[in-house]
Amino acid sequence: MKLGFSKAEEDFRAECADWLTGQMAGEFSDIKGIATLTAKAERRKEWEQQLAAHKWSCIGWPTEWGGRGASLAEQVIFAEEYARAGVPGRVNHIGIELAGPTILTFGTDEQKKRFLPDIAAGKTIFCQGFSEPNAGSDLASVRTKARLEGGKWVVNGQKIWTSLAHISDWIFVIARSEEGTKGPKGLTFLMMPIDQPGIEIRGIKQINGDAEFNETFFTDATCAEDSLIGAPGEGWRIAMGLLAFERGVSTLGQQMGFRNELDEIIAAAKANGSANDPLIRQRIAKAEIGLHLMRYGALRMLSNTDHSKVDGAALTYKIQWASWRRSLGELGMDVLGQAGEVTDNPDYDWGTLPNLFLYSRSDTIYGGTNQIQRNLIAERALGMPREPRGDT
Amino acid sequence: MEFLLSDDQLTLAEGVKDYLAGTHGPEVLRRLDEGSNRDPTIWQGLVEMGLPALLVPEDQDGLGLKLLDAALIAAECGRSCLAEPLVDTAFVAVPWLTAKGDIADLAPIVSGEKIVPLAHKINGWVADGDGASLQSVDPLRNLTVAPADATDDPHLLNLGALMSAAQLVGIADAMLEQAVEYAKVRKQFGQPIGAFQAVKHHLATATVALEFAKPVVWRAAQAMDDGIDSAPVHVSHAKLAAGDAALQMAETAIQVHGAMGYTYEVDLHFWMKRSWALIGAWGNRAFHMKRVDGGVIGGSLDIGPAHTFA
Repeated sequence: MKLGFSKAEEDFRAECADWLTGQMAGEFSDIKGIATLTAKAERRKEWEQQLAAHKWSCIGWPTEWGGRGASLAEQVIFAEEYARAGVPGRVNHIGIELAGPTILTFGTDEQKKRFLPDIAAGKTIFCQGFSEPNAGSDLASVRTKARLEGGKWVVNGQKIWTSLAHISDWIFVIARSEEGTKGPKGLTFLMMPIDQPGIEIRGIKQINGDAEFNETFFTDATCAEDSLIGAPGEGWRIAMGLLAFERGVSTLGQQMGFRNELDEIIAAAKANGSANDPLIRQRIAKAEIGLHLMRYGALRMLSNTDHSKVDGAALTYKIQWASWRRSLGELGMDVLGQAGEVTDNPDYDWGTLPNLFLYSRSDTIYGGTNQIQRNLIAERALGMPREPRGDT
Repeated sequence: MEFLLSDDQLTLAEGVKDYLAGTHGPEVLRRLDEGSNRDPTIWQGLVEMGLPALLVPEDQDGLGLKLLDAALIAAECGRSCLAEPLVDTAFVAVPWLTAKGDIADLAPIVSGEKIVPLAHKINGWVADGDGASLQSVDPLRNLTVAPADATDDPHLLNLGALMSAAQLVGIADAMLEQAVEYAKVRKQFGQPIGAFQAVKHHLATATVALEFAKPVVWRAAQAMDDGIDSAPVHVSHAKLAAGDAALQMAETAIQVHGAMGYTYEVDLHFWMKRSWALIGAWGNRAFHMKRVDGGVIGGSLDIGPAHTFA
């Protein structure tokens, strides 16, 4: 174990911080601190391109595909400085963190050449078409169908919760390509261009007033025959490989965002006097402890590069941070009191902490609910018998 | 001792419940949300049921009922997520004005012509007032800026807190019902999600908190009806228990609905946001915790075996 950062890493941190704070103070000051994923979408696409122009868009990727081949420590540093500088979330995070690594790992050389440079350059925004109305927690029961016809894949069905589909260029989907199959068998992983008549997108309004995700309808939508990743019928394996990338270094950057949120709560508690309330003080201290628990937990998880066996500790990460953040939202609300429940803004558009309270309701649901996470921990990490399941 | 609600009380509450279930479903909430949040025909219906007159003394042409009766009705208003200011005017303003001997407004309240916006210093706003408007987290709540001359009358505060607590248990009931119904029909892994222990235990836990909050609310209403010294502590206890139960139920109900629970199109968010608004209204959690603390540690409440169950 070696904690702390080297001189070279500290220099790298200073370089990241300089550039990011400079951008947020200068050309991109208009997007600083935006809390939602949808506001000012066009400017944020320009921000993706600005990152790319300065080789910051995907530093963990290999240099030949537009990355810097950055070490884990460097990626952690960049993610932390990114959040610390108040830079809004990446509208192409699915492209950078999920689609790109999936293509790198499972794609052909042709596919790498075709997609990776444009993702790295911020010119191709990706979204994810996994969930369906009847395939949420039970993801393997997808019904969207794909068939090969006249040298093209033809896709019919519906996806839901497709975050940012309305500003994306491409969508990757898992679809059932083998008639009569059930569950994880017979699925194929396809990449499809969104701008075509067979794809229709409808926004879904959320409880916080934002509309980040969508329903996506496929009616004889098509993509080229070579748009699949892996072989036909291998979609589930590819999808599971992709989801493993989700627990990447971005989790540490996410924690810096949490740090900012907790700091805002502490500042509000000092400002309005609720910091004098012993109960509030205890909850703030508990939140601080939880944040540090997560940091060390994530460092351990990311330092484990042996992917040959199930990392039981890694399986505990999602439920831990999601539950922590939902409690943080409740703490913020209790600190603000009535000031958090009213605004003189006539739109249903809230400041950081009220929005945190509303938004964090989704943290314990997306990417596997807390209930699913507990099943994963019990069944995969602890080796307990599988919960009886019906015929899906 | 008898800690039971009478048949008359239950029948009256049941009648209001049925009326609101028939006239004030979720489609009404969506319609109000798209408009100005208020509808005179809904108010008129409540007036015709005689609800504004419930607590008005009989010698003022009212029904002369008690706060406990009103608390049961307030819970029904919470259950239906009623947006009209019935609880504020009929169950908070009326007993407050009556106690002050301020009876001039009672007749127009009974006839439904008058609503009474309540300006208390504990609140940073006035509901259904006529000042500059504010956006509430509850999209159906019409808030306005508080005037400088708001009162700090503790009796008004206790009435407001009690009736908020009563609404909160009804709100929590409604969220529980929606979550249970959803868990019965939503299928994953080939069966209703309610069949999974992970889901049913979640709902069961929230139910325990809610069922233990209800009698605390009724006890507080009775304490105010009886005018006992410890009534403010009972009210604070009720506000805390009901608020905590409602918040836990909101969290649980959203979780059970999965991603649908996070959408605006599933009506659940109306109740969740009403919970949030009422938990903050008429004294937040810290305020009421401090009053219980003051009662227990500070000595304003008689404690010990001789008093605990008195």
